[in-house]
Amino acid sequence: MVTKTKGIGDLFKEIIDKGLCTVCGACVGDCPYVVFYRGKIRMLDFCNRTEGHCYEYCPRTFTDLDAISNKIHGTSYTGDEIGTVKEVLMARAGDSKTRAKAQYGGTVSALLSLALDNGVIDAAILSKNTDDKLPSGFVARSSAQVLEGAGSNYMAYPALEALNGMPRDSKDRLGIVVTPCQAIALAKMKVSPPSQRVSMENVRLSIGLFCTWALAYDRFFEFIKNNVSPAKIKKFDIPPPPANRFDFYIGKEVESFPLDGIRNYRMSTCAYCLDMTAEFTDISLGSVEGIEGWNTVIVRTQQGMDIVEEAKKKGVLEIKELPAQNLVHLKDAALIKKARAVQAIVERTGDKNDLMYLGISDNLKGKLLSHRVTAQGGH
Amino acid sequence: MPNIDMDAPGSNQLFIGNEAMARGALEAGIGFASAYPGTPSSEILGSLSEVAKKRDIYVEWSVNEKVAIEAGAAASFAGVRALVAMKMNGLNTVIDFLSTITLSGIGKKGIVVMVGDDPSAHSSSNETDSRPVSKWLDIPLVEPGDFQEAKDMMPFLYGISEEFGTISIMRSVTRIAHARGNIKLGEIPKIAHKARFEQYLDPAAPMPTPIMCVPSSFRHMFQHMRMDKVREKFESCSFNRYVGPDKPDLLIITAGSGWLYSQDAVNALKAENRIGILKLGTLWPLPEKLIKTHLSKADKVIFIEETDPFLEGVIMEYTAGFSPESKRNLFYGKHTRHLNSFGELTPDAVIKAITSVLDIKYAPRDAEYMKKVEAVPQGHVMDRLLTFCPGCPHRASFWAIKNALAMDGRNGFVTGDIGCYTMALGPAGFFQTRTHQCMGAGAGLANGFGQLSRFGFNQPVVSVVGDSTFYHSIIPALVNGVHNHSNFTLVILDNGATAMTGFQPHPGTELTAMGEPAAQISMENICRAIGARVEICDPFDLKDTTRTILDLVEQDQGARVAIMRRTCELVRQKKEKKPYKMQIDPDKCLGEDCGCNRLCTRVFRCPGLIWDAAAGKTRIDEVICTACGVCADICPEGAITKEAIA
Repeated sequence: MVTKTKGIGDLFKEIIDKGLCTVCGACVGDCPYVVFYRGKIRMLDFCNRTEGHCYEYCPRTFTDLDAISNKIHGTSYTGDEIGTVKEVLMARAGDSKTRAKAQYGGTVSALLSLALDNGVIDAAILSKNTDDKLPSGFVARSSAQVLEGAGSNYMAYPALEALNGMPRDSKDRLGIVVTPCQAIALAKMKVSPPSQRVSMENVRLSIGLFCTWALAYDRFFEFIKNNVSPAKIKKFDIPPPPANRFDFYIGKEVESFPLDGIRNYRMSTCAYCLDMTAEFTDISLGSVEGIEGWNTVIVRTQQGMDIVEEAKKKGVLEIKELPAQNLVHLKDAALIKKARAVQAIVERTGDKNDLMYLGISDNLKGKLLSHRVTAQGGH
Repeated sequence: MPNIDMDAPGSNQLFIGNEAMARGALEAGIGFASAYPGTPSSEILGSLSEVAKKRDIYVEWSVNEKVAIEAGAAASFAGVRALVAMKMNGLNTVIDFLSTITLSGIGKKGIVVMVGDDPSAHSSSNETDSRPVSKWLDIPLVEPGDFQEAKDMMPFLYGISEEFGTISIMRSVTRIAHARGNIKLGEIPKIAHKARFEQYLDPAAPMPTPIMCVPSSFRHMFQHMRMDKVREKFESCSFNRYVGPDKPDLLIITAGSGWLYSQDAVNALKAENRIGILKLGTLWPLPEKLIKTHLSKADKVIFIEETDPFLEGVIMEYTAGFSPESKRNLFYGKHTRHLNSFGELTPDAVIKAITSVLDIKYAPRDAEYMKKVEAVPQGHVMDRLLTFCPGCPHRASFWAIKNALAMDGRNGFVTGDIGCYTMALGPAGFFQTRTHQCMGAGAGLANGFGQLSRFGFNQPVVSVVGDSTFYHSIIPALVNGVHNHSNFTLVILDNGATAMTGFQPHPGTELTAMGEPAAQISMENICRAIGARVEICDPFDLKDTTRTILDLVEQDQGARVAIMRRTCELVRQKKEKKPYKMQIDPDKCLGEDCGCNRLCTRVFRCPGLIWDAAAGKTRIDEVICTACGVCADICPEGAITKEAIA
């Protein structure tokens, strides 16, 4: 395991060229040497610095989960299935229009709109699709703009590029929507703040999205082009298990493909990710198995608690208790992802003492290596 | 530049070799001159173009050397003396025509090809020696050994051309063509040229028409016989001469600049009594009798000549036919490794060779000399790599090409061509150019790369050419690419100038060599007529240019064209003032920090930007910055600003 911060050449050699890049965007946006283009991180020129933020913040270079957990949650990394939790519940947007635009319950859009309206944040960084269906990060400053970012297309995208692109001296208080790998990169930035980028103190609210894996844009877009007309797609959806489908909403029609085939377009790096529930955020959420139109919500920090309480009070969110069985399933799935990741890493390195990027305790490692995992699953 | 047509016969003037040759051509009474520019030959036509109207001669910068020589031959066919100038690369492209005109013969008036060779390839892609062409194709060839000869050989060579009915060649090298020396002027005749293509029907007529090379084998025989007659003439030519003792310990056989270096060497070694120099001016056919006479007087012989062992080879070959009783010489030169058959000849190299053969001790300078020389300019001369001028559009073009190919991510590359942009092989063009051959070759190579997908080839290919090069030799390659569906992008860097050789007109520019309005040929119309998709962009708009290239590259089929149009900065700044006030905000400049790491002075590297190591910031060199404004667009922090000057 390499723990030293290195430069851009090493980032490409060790991570990107080896198919380990998550396209989180931590290395893009404030550096003229690296760009994101059509689903890939590209080096325009060689920066001969021997240490760079690009390498340091990458979620696939050495990541000390204890340090991150201490920074975000004030406690060492426990390795619990769904991370540090204050409260788990079920929610949906109080406003039916928001729900109609949203992927599931519209909770993300509702919370961000509230944070903007309340002045908790001045701007929110989220994603929206370009004409080529490639999601990219963008900055929303109003509820209306937040709704433009509603919906998911399951492709990896560089949300942190938009954060890095904020002016260095910006005073905007920010909210940000991140996937688990992006949340880890963001947490690494908070642990060791960059000197020449927008201040990490500005990031006031992070909302995480549950994620089993993401699709690689370049290969998946080829599939879309060959099977569905990209311009006509209104929404992408992976319904909760046991549907095992990938749905394209084209106008009012739904065109479905078996999920097993779509899995071929996964980012290879997702196999090594142990975080399903975006553990290093203020709030994280996903769908609810068997209950359509609602979100599972994990509140993790005091900031998270505050905004959820406020939302409840103002009726911005409808809140219910998450059925106990759902929580059990969620934890099972999250644990399986952890175990699979560690086992896949050891298979790749061929050495139980080499966990590539992952800095976890020997205890946790032993537990995850011995956990029996079932066959292919997720989403 | 001196006035090459001054009416001052008998006066001494300081001319560069090329001006001396142009003056010689005027004294020979030429009526027609054509050329394609190329170092070290460009000043010949350049200086003639300045006096063309006054002297009532026709001067033309032709689209390429092949058209130039064919146009010149037409003048000869119609009874007007013609001069055609080119560099050695140009000669290579006209070999086909030379091989037929040497069979067909010329018109009533002479035609001379002036070819400038560039030993050490100071400004060339190769250092070919042109002389072997004369032997190969039976064409008389002379080479001036000094500046006076550069002029005087011209009228002489027209005499040879007309007396024997053959095209003739004068070879010079950079150190004759570009160095300056005294010449004594002769008279420029006043000739009222009359051009007419006589069409004799009688085969027995002095010059039967059609002028043709058939029956070729029969004419080939005459071609050889003609050379025997020329050889006889050369035996008594004053351009061949000997200086030295009657029976020297060492005979130098030399020509061209070797003559100057040999004199220097003998002088430096104070060996005038031991070494003789046979200086040859007529190099093909060789004055064999003269040579044999001198060979009989010396045991040891060394050949001093630029580049190839041409004299060395042909003279040793000639002596192989001597009778067994004849004197046998010990020959030294390139075949004995006393001299190199590459790189430029120097007086030092000549001295070293001679002292080695004669076992003379000679120390040209004290051992510390080079150290002292290197110490002198320290701190006074800026350390700078070969690069584009400040404000050069090519730097911006290659920046966009580099970024586009990097974003595409399929390991695309540039096939290069001949012009200022050849420097893109190095840091000036961010190492984008990956092949470098001759004019037009980049597009030809792209044609081939573009057909290799059936063998798994998937890299984007970008052929980058200049505007002058486009007209010179790219059009057939584009025709081929479109016709055969080859997959490549042709980028034409249209800076409106033949910049590298000195801003000669080309078919896309406004004026002819005579200074008259030209019919400008639109390169985009040509490309579109061929059937290629054409996009035009301004390289200073980096964003748009990058997007355009990326879009063309991603099209991934057929031959398509981007024209990056922006006037050469050296041309622009003669007409316009600086467009912007450029400033750098030191508070915003990140210097070597993460997030920049000197992108502007480490990668972009415009000479107008200076890295102030002490301050850790970039500064603008106010003296040479042309305020093109491009660096303001590459600075990631917006520290460099451009403010339009009203």
